[in-house]
Formats: sequence, C-alpha cells, structure tokens
Amino acid sequence: MTRYVMVIDQRRCIGCHSCTVACRTWNKLPLDIVYNPVLSEGAQGEWPNVHKYWTPMLCQHCANPECVPCCPTGASQQDADGTVWVDPKKCMSCKVCVNACPYGMRDASHIESRLHRFVRKCTFCRDAREMDPSAQPYCVKTCHQKARIFGDLDDPNSEVSKIIGSVRTERLFEELGTEPQIYYIPDLGGKA
Amino acid sequence: MKHHYWEPPIALYLFLGGLAGGIMFLSAIFDSFVIPGHTDIFALPVLIAFIAICIGLVFLLVDLGQPGVFWRVFRTAKSIIKWGAVFLVIDTIVSMLFIVAFLGDSLTFMAPLSNLIKPIASPMLLVGGFFGLCIMMYTGIMLSTLKAHVFWATPALPVLFTVSAISTGCAAIVLSIGGWPAVVSLESLEAAAEVNHILHTVDIVLVVAEIIILLTMVLSFLGAGNITAKKAAKRWVCGSYAPLFWGGMVFAGLLIPLALYVAGSGVASAVVAPVLVLCGGCLLRFLVVNTDDRAPLPGEERYMGRIATHKNAFVKRWNYDGENEF
Ligand code: SF4
Ligand code: SF4
Ligand code: SF4
Repeated sequence: MTRYVMVIDQRRCIGCHSCTVACRTWNKLPLDIVYNPVLSEGAQGEWPNVHKYWTPMLCQHCANPECVPCCPTGASQQDADGTVWVDPKKCMSCKVCVNACPYGMRDASHIESRLHRFVRKCTFCRDAREMDPSAQPYCVKTCHQKARIFGDLDDPNSEVSKIIGSVRTERLFEELGTEPQIYYIPDLGGKA
Repeated sequence: MKHHYWEPPIALYLFLGGLAGGIMFLSAIFDSFVIPGHTDIFALPVLIAFIAICIGLVFLLVDLGQPGVFWRVFRTAKSIIKWGAVFLVIDTIVSMLFIVAFLGDSLTFMAPLSNLIKPIASPMLLVGGFFGLCIMMYTGIMLSTLKAHVFWATPALPVLFTVSAISTGCAAIVLSIGGWPAVVSLESLEAAAEVNHILHTVDIVLVVAEIIILLTMVLSFLGAGNITAKKAAKRWVCGSYAPLFWGGMVFAGLLIPLALYVAGSGVASAVVAPVLVLCGGCLLRFLVVNTDDRAPLPGEERYMGRIATHKNAFVKRWNYDGENEF
C-alpha cells in the first residue's frame, strides 16, 4: 500500500513563500484562494532574545478527515493513498466541508462566475502524479530549502519514513482525532 | 478565519426548515392525540409549513455554487445533509397533499380531488409530524457535527434548535389555526379555540425551556477554558452581539412573549407574542450561524489579516475564467 504524507522541517523554512507561488501558478488558482499559506506569528521574545519561525501549511490529508463523510454529493473524497480531493464536477458548493475542516484548508472562490463555484483545496498534486507516478508536488519541488519533503509512509526506505521514525515530529490539532498526515519538525528557536 | 462561509440564506433556511418542522410536529400531535376529528383546522398552518419549506429550499439553492448538481444529494452519500434533504422533500410532498385534501372545502372545482385524499389526511399528517421532528433535529445536529467550530459542536445546540423550532411552530399555529381553506363552523371555532388555549400553555413551557438552554449554553461557553469558545461567548454576552442577544433574542424574543402569554389576553397574547417568538427564532439562527469561530492555526490571523480577501477591490476586478495565465 501507499500512504502519501509530507514532512515539513520548520528549522529549514525561511518564510520565502515560494511554495505558495508555485502552487497557485501550477494549479491556476483564482486570486482569493491559497492552498498552502506560510504562516508566522512574527518575531517572538524581546531583543536580543528573539526568534521567528514559520508554519508552512497545506491540507493535512487527514487519515480520519472531517471533510469527507459530511459531503452530501460524494464530491469530497479520499483516495486509497490518503489523498483527499474534491471533484469539481460533483461539488455543489454547499460549503459543509469548508465548515467541517478544523484547519481552514478549503474554500470556494468568489471570483469565478456565480454558478460555477466549487470548493477547492490542496490536491497533494494528484494531477501531477496521475501523469507521472513518481512526480513530487509543486510546492515540494520548488522549495530550495528542502523544508517540504513528500513521500510514502508505507515504504520503510522512503525519506519521510526514515525521518518520522527517527526525529520527533509534531502534528497540528492532533487532539481532534483527525489523524493529520503532515508531520512538522518544530523549530526550537534561535533564528532572528 | 477568512470570512463567513455560510451566509444569511443558510440561517434563513435553518429557521424556515425548523418552523415548518415545528408546525407539522405540533399539528400532527394535536390532530391525532389531543383533539381528533378536526383535521381541517390545521389546513392553514400546514399551508404555512409548506410555504416555509419551499422558501427555505429556494434559499438553500440560492446559496449553492452549482445548484445543478443538487440531485446528487439523493443518489450518493449518507451525510447528514442528505438526510435533511430527504426529510424536507417528504414533508413538502406530505404538506402539499394535505392542503389539497382541504382546498376542496373552499374551491369547489378541487372538491373531487380533495374528497379522494381526505380520508387519509389525518394519518398523512402523522407521517408529516414524524418527519417534521426529524427536520427540527437535523437543523441542529447538522451544525453540531462540525466540530471545527466550538460554538456549534455542543449537544446543547440541537436541543436548543429543536425547542426553538417547536416554539416557533407553536406561534405560527396560534396565528393561523382554523383559517382558510377550512370552512368556518361553530364546531371548528371551538376546536381552534381549544387548541389555542393549550398552545399558549405549551409555548410558555417552551419559551422557559429555551431561555434555560440558551443561557446554559452561552454562559457555560463563557466560563469554559477553551479560548475560541470564550471569545465567541464574550461577543454574545458583552460584545458586538450583546444588543441583539440580550435585547433582541432574550428580551424581545423570549421574555416579552412570555409575559404576554402569562398575563395578556386578546391581541397581545394572540398576535404580538407569537410574532415576537417567530422573530426571536429567526434571530437565533442568524446569530448562531454567524458564530463560526474556528481555533486559529499559529499565525493564521496575522496572515489572513494581510492578504487580500474576495472583498478587496483589487481581487474583485480580476476576471477569472478558470484558465488565467497571469
Ligand atoms: S485538513 Fe481539512 S480538508 Fe484536509 S483532509 Fe483534513 S479535514 Fe479535510
Ligand atoms: S461543498 Fe462540495 S465537496 Fe464540500 S461538502 Fe458540499 S458538495 Fe461536498
Ligand atoms: S501539494 Fe500541490 S496542491 Fe497541495 S499545496 Fe503543494 S503544490 Fe499545492
């Protein structure tokens, strides 16, 4: 079996937002949609003891997603490899899934013509993998700091398996039981 | 939080759905168990329920981005919304048939059709009442399963919505019982007066229950440790929603009707109180649907506060045809 996950090394991320640009360019996103914001709370602490870190986001491709069972049309679905995606042809844009996602990773664009709105979210670059099964997501390919690492958690030799097995990683809102599949290596401070 | 994903049409849809459910539920109970034999006096209340469902469904469809795909709801999924849609459609059909059964009383050309359906009108209303209860519960349960939103994800919410729905249904029946197309007779007037009398007491109980549930819910959020819940409850109790919550919902929507029901007679308790209860129920749905606070990710608010939203003029002027090549 295959289980795609992403490891995000917050020690490496410098907050350049290249992944955001790569994603919106390749996926031709409308202006009011961002799949993968790079969040930061700004500089923390008081000079000279300050640090700043970034949290690159994307859909957590939850193993127990909130957004799939609530969908009344079957548009919101999950592949066997864990990828959660929306079929734009089936989605009626009722926005239940948007309200169900605890990470705020879904939205419908308000720029598209009024009767062609569907809910969008990160697809884990499913379309790229359809063309080439070994393709890496655009946000991963573009990251010059190699802060985003994509791979198959069920393959013990993959880079993500090795990292998750040997380094302490954290997941966002794990307490909600959604079993998010984006693993963060936290930045423990030290950068200004 | 970027913006409210559900806008006023959804709040209205939840209100109208609950109202229709409440009317069907109470009419069925009164017709089958309290004063059997006067089914015709419920024709106008059920007509109101029918209109409420239809307007509610229109609001729902208006809010959809691709209404053309709505039919999929009945084919594919097992989601709560699917069940809600099924209940609503059943009650639309039941209420329509029920009205047709009594239209013949006033419109002679409908009489043959009406006489055909009339014998099963009462059992049909009972079925409608059952699904009315389902609709009322569904509107609350649908919100309460969305655990990303603390203010919705509480078992108190379906209870509150159901009690409020029954009490708005009660108010609508008080306002309309015995009206057209039912033929006015001494007997039907007496039956309507009896129902009204019982409904006043019922609504007093419901309004008191609603006050208790509402305050328990909001105040327990206020005392909770959860930051997001506390922030939302603060907005209700002493923030920007406070005038609408205390003045609109608690005072004008619950306490005044309660006083009028208890003390008043004549127009005050027969017309003013029920109208206020209806307005209060509508306001409740608006406030609850708007309280869609989600626990923010670290840095999310800072980020969202800086990027352009869909309301921004710069974004608005962008023409998106699905194939922008920037
Ligand atoms: S992060 Fe949200 S959209 Fe992505 S799988 Fe989890 S619940 Fe669904
Ligand atoms: S908005 Fe679309 S994908 Fe989301 S629950 Fe509704 S129909 Fe499903
Ligand atoms: S995996 Fe693909 S769709 Fe998802 S954020 Fe990265 S580039 Fe965008």
